[in-house]
Amino acid sequence: MDIRPEIQIRSMIKAMIDVVLPAVDAHNKLAQEQSRLIIATLQLIAKRLPIAYRYDRDELERYVALAQELTEEFGPANAGPAATDLQRLAAQGADILKRAQAEPAELEEAIFELRDRVSALVGEVGAVQDTAVKARLRKVILAASKTELDRERALVVDMGFEADPANVPAPIEMQLPMVGQRHSRSGHAGECSIQETKT
Amino acid sequence: MAVIDKNNPSPDWIQSLRKRFRCEAEIDRVLTRKLRRRSGPAYKPVSLDAMCASLQSLLDTELKTPFEIRGPRWLSGGASKLQVAFTLDWHDPVAGRTVTPMVIRMEPAESIVETSRLREFQIIKAVHGVLPVPKAYWIDAEGGHFPYPAIVYGFAEGVTKPSGSLSNVSGLGTNFGAELRKTIGPQFIDHLARLHTWDWSHAELSSLDKPIAGTTQAVEWHLNWWERVWEEDCNRDIPLMRLAAGWLRENMPAAERISLIHSDYRAGNFLFTEHDRRITAWLDWELGHLGDYHEDVAYTTMPFVSHTSEDGSTLLASGMMPAEQLYETYERASGLVLNLKTIEYYQIFHAYRSALIVVACGYRPTRNGKTHQDLLLNWIMGMGYPAMGILRDQLERVA
Repeated sequence: MDIRPEIQIRSMIKAMIDVVLPAVDAHNKLAQEQSRLIIATLQLIAKRLPIAYRYDRDELERYVALAQELTEEFGPANAGPAATDLQRLAAQGADILKRAQAEPAELEEAIFELRDRVSALVGEVGAVQDTAVKARLRKVILAASKTELDRERALVVDMGFEADPANVPAPIEMQLPMVGQRHSRSGHAGECSIQETKT
Repeated sequence: MAVIDKNNPSPDWIQSLRKRFRCEAEIDRVLTRKLRRRSGPAYKPVSLDAMCASLQSLLDTELKTPFEIRGPRWLSGGASKLQVAFTLDWHDPVAGRTVTPMVIRMEPAESIVETSRLREFQIIKAVHGVLPVPKAYWIDAEGGHFPYPAIVYGFAEGVTKPSGSLSNVSGLGTNFGAELRKTIGPQFIDHLARLHTWDWSHAELSSLDKPIAGTTQAVEWHLNWWERVWEEDCNRDIPLMRLAAGWLRENMPAAERISLIHSDYRAGNFLFTEHDRRITAWLDWELGHLGDYHEDVAYTTMPFVSHTSEDGSTLLASGMMPAEQLYETYERASGLVLNLKTIEYYQIFHAYRSALIVVACGYRPTRNGKTHQDLLLNWIMGMGYPAMGILRDQLERVA
């Protein structure tokens, strides 16, 4: 999927600066200020988005360390139930950190390289004369493409390009596997209720 | 694994692509120019005043008598080029002193479809009198007057969709309504038939290479064009696109007749006047080339240019009529025979090319800030995934 937030945000900033802002009424101070704030906010998001995951990981790492230090110093003997919770959560946080070592950029690069080599292989096998070999290749690629396109179409369904509304793929949230998830957060961003879920 | 920096293409890489994919000479010229300019500056907004100054410069060269440019204004519309409408008070060699509404059509720094203004200019001039098209006046083929290459043609009256109707960007999926399609539909087919049966051999179309009838040359050049563009522009590779390209090469049909092909013949690319329900102009000839008439006919039946009838019972090809009826009407109007296997081939071709244009050519210029509406290109990329879904299903059917 090449519709990526970093490109979208850059395009939004360009549209605001090149087209929208020059057209905003110079006497409407509120609209002028809001337009400039939109640009500044988008620029900030564009700058911070690439390190958002690393920042979260660092934050978790610091809090795991703090929790470990606190529970060693002020264990259940010196504190109430919070210390017991903290021990459990520190262990859980440490486990999540272990599973969150790769950078998003590494993930993207690995996908990029695999796609490139799979595509090269398709070209190489396609060049052979053996029709049975080519038929097997076609079957594998078409099957993999079905899964991929179901996801990609679901990601962009709100853009309105599906010709047949009765034939849209399942929502992307239902298609993506929840690998390794132990907890799910409910509610909207900013809320912090945590519910235990079975995995 | 050697990584190619497509945002800063090396001369060696450009040369290797030119050698690997033999395209028409004019296509090779514009694609090579695109790559050589790619590492250059992003698109910078051009003011209306600057556009008028460029126009003044062009007309100073072209006209020997006094003229005046009036009422310039930006037009919205196409995803690929910038357009400015204006009126020109001038001495027309035929009509004498007159005021003519006109349009400037200019490229951005890099476009979602990188095409030739010379070719577009020649085709519009050539088909004048064959189909309703704006009159083509002047060309700035290399951007000697304008910041980028541009043409100037007549302003055509009309709208692309009925007042108050809805469609997605670029006019895709326009619903003309039950009444309007009864009169627009037959014109839509009649014009296509006229285009395909027109004898282009005496027209000034020097920027188009002439493929040989009875061979696969036309489609092979076309595949070379788009496979080359995929190499030049795509970000992440897509195995399905490679599979499709291989299938298209293995199954190329010979073109029994060589016609002028519009290559983007759909709602959104023609104007009509609502009061008399008449198609007044066919626009966007930038993908025009010589090839197999099945190519255009197949395009009119693609799902992304079609929609279901109001009662939900029938898929209307190009929002006009069911595909079978469209084929019959076309055959009657043109006297040409449609081979359904060849139609199927070109449907796969169009699913491939449409996905390629929006996903690869939508991505690359946007990535480098090269157009006047990167945001729109970003949005249009969303069409690529349903198009690839169609491509996948079609390839499965023919397997």
